[in-house]
Amino acid sequence: MNDRVKHIFIWPAFLLVLVITLFPLIYALTVSFQTVRIVPPTPARFVGFDNYADILANARFWGAIATTATIVIISVLAQYAIGLSVALALHHNVPGASLFRVTFLLPMFLAPVCVALIAKMIFHPVLGPANEFFSMFGLENLPFLTDPNFAIAVLIAIETWQWTPFVVLLMLAGLQNLPAEVFEAARVDNISAWRRFRDITFPMLLPLSAAVIFIRLIEGFKIIDTVFILTGGGPGTSTETLTLFAYNEGFKKFNIGMTSALSFLFLIVVIVFGTLYLAGARKLTQRYAQ
Amino acid sequence: MEHIEFRKISKSYGAVEVVPPLDLSIHQGEFIVLVGPSGCGKTTTLRMLAGLEETTSGQILIDGNDVTNKRPGERNCAMVFQNYALYPHMSVRENIGYAMKVHGTPKDEIDKHVDEAAELLGLSDYLERKPRNLSGGQRQRVAIGRAFVRQPQVFLFDEPLSNLDAKLRVEMRSEIKLLQRRLNTTAVYVTHDQVEAMTMADRVVVMRSGVIEQVDAPITLYERPVNRFVASFIGSPSMNFFDARIEAGVLMIGDQRMQLAAKDADRIGDYGNVVFGIRPEHCREAETASHLTFDVEVIEPLGSNTLLLGKIGGQKIMTQVDPRFIAEAGALATVPIDMQAAHFFNPTTEERI
Ligand SMILES: Nc1ncnc2c1ncn2[C@@H]1O[C@H](COP(=O)(O)OP(=O)(O)O)[C@@H](O)[C@H]1O
Ligand SMILES: [Mg+2]
Repeated sequence: MNDRVKHIFIWPAFLLVLVITLFPLIYALTVSFQTVRIVPPTPARFVGFDNYADILANARFWGAIATTATIVIISVLAQYAIGLSVALALHHNVPGASLFRVTFLLPMFLAPVCVALIAKMIFHPVLGPANEFFSMFGLENLPFLTDPNFAIAVLIAIETWQWTPFVVLLMLAGLQNLPAEVFEAARVDNISAWRRFRDITFPMLLPLSAAVIFIRLIEGFKIIDTVFILTGGGPGTSTETLTLFAYNEGFKKFNIGMTSALSFLFLIVVIVFGTLYLAGARKLTQRYAQ
Repeated sequence: MEHIEFRKISKSYGAVEVVPPLDLSIHQGEFIVLVGPSGCGKTTTLRMLAGLEETTSGQILIDGNDVTNKRPGERNCAMVFQNYALYPHMSVRENIGYAMKVHGTPKDEIDKHVDEAAELLGLSDYLERKPRNLSGGQRQRVAIGRAFVRQPQVFLFDEPLSNLDAKLRVEMRSEIKLLQRRLNTTAVYVTHDQVEAMTMADRVVVMRSGVIEQVDAPITLYERPVNRFVASFIGSPSMNFFDARIEAGVLMIGDQRMQLAAKDADRIGDYGNVVFGIRPEHCREAETASHLTFDVEVIEPLGSNTLLLGKIGGQKIMTQVDPRFIAEAGALATVPIDMQAAHFFNPTTEERI
């Protein structure tokens, strides 16, 4: 195994990884310690941690974290709760399951931009069907996209609508992989459906659930397209998410150094949330480990 | 009193009738074994009794109550599955005590029962382990313990020993039987292994394609199989069959002639064409022995006895002889046949004559 030939196979792959992933990262990291302006072009100047300090002192950054976290945490919880319920229903073949099996998955295949455009029509304060629906209860012209709380709620609803199918798909696969005899044994032992879910199904699905929620958390933090189209971060900056904030910094102020620093802070935020989540999830899954 | 009664129960999947209407009565405290080749509907029948499978028609009574449309949980049965079906995330202790816990038994009482069951099944040292850290035999013991602590009306076993190695199977066989005796609980046990059926059962139910061929005590099945199928299925090594003819109290296979035992000569002395059945172990000296000569092809010494495999005019024969019996592969051998132990079947209906 100590053959020299192995180097021929390893090095090209290693270099490729280096060039494609590590180089841009390292380059971005270097840039984040400089002031670089593209418009108007100014020569790069090393500024140390100034960019980071500026951002951390900026209330807009903390606002963006709060907004993003609110949208992501609530919508992922909703996605999981609804997704697992739907998966359970499909798994137990409720009437019409075969029809829903297909239609439930459709939102996931739409591009987020399209979803946002559709949502923009639906939630139009005067012309949209949402308005008509609420008008029936005497609530006319609700400020769906112009009131901060409403706008965040709408964004949460859209995220949930689009990504619940993903959760359904994975949880359904998980459910169908559970050994049937275990549940038959429980049925013969007169364990109620609720206890079977609570004591058997749910714990056995925990590792998968933890992974699915993790994927959705990480993905959710990158939310930008729907926000960009629906509210543009407004009113004010009340619905501005982290990526949208970075985009605004980079492409409106053209301050690349600042934007790079922001990207790394974004990475740190995701890592912090991710680590906290994993620590909690590990505790839970270990209790029910097989 | 009959404890379990199947009244004309049947099961169809779509247009395929897997189990045609079937009647069976099982007594209180009896150990019943359903045996038959793979795919003959044993599991389906057992699952209908458990309530895991709906019956297409017919009725099932347990203790005189019609349970046909009751949920599995309402039938007070406990079931042991082939692949254990343990709760993988629960320890052995939790697995055994889970049903009691859900049904509100106080904790110290659960512990008492679990410890007792673990003691009995040799699981005391493994109570805190998870199933994946146990061997196959230990897992099946846990599954058995889980069934036994519930003290149900009926035990159901679906090939519980099939995943275990041969030695363990023999051990567990007697353990299960002993436990069932102790509790005197009715048990219905499914297996495809006729040795398991013979050794464990009070009565054996032999099935073929969903149809019950014979229900009898093991020894009766062995001595008086009702047809050729049961005769060939029960007993190991299995029975030899020859196309033969009976005339004037003499059995003829090809040009070989054998004198029938007196009881048979009176009964069927001039029957005509028959299928003659003889078990390998009945090729032995006896008062009423006749002799049969055949071409030996293979000799298999097993130590306590020797198997001779060969042919008589194109029909296969296997005989079990004394280890000192002198025979040579490729040569002729003549073995004694105990005609008292002979079986005769009708060549067309295959029923016992
Ligand atoms: N869900 C099902 N759908 C269709 N056919 C089935 C189903 N379950 C079992 N069968 C058929 O029923 C027959 C009996 O099966 P089973 O009771 O499992 O046999 P055994 O336990 O005796 O091996 C088999 O031929 C099998 O193919
Ligand atoms: Mg079976």
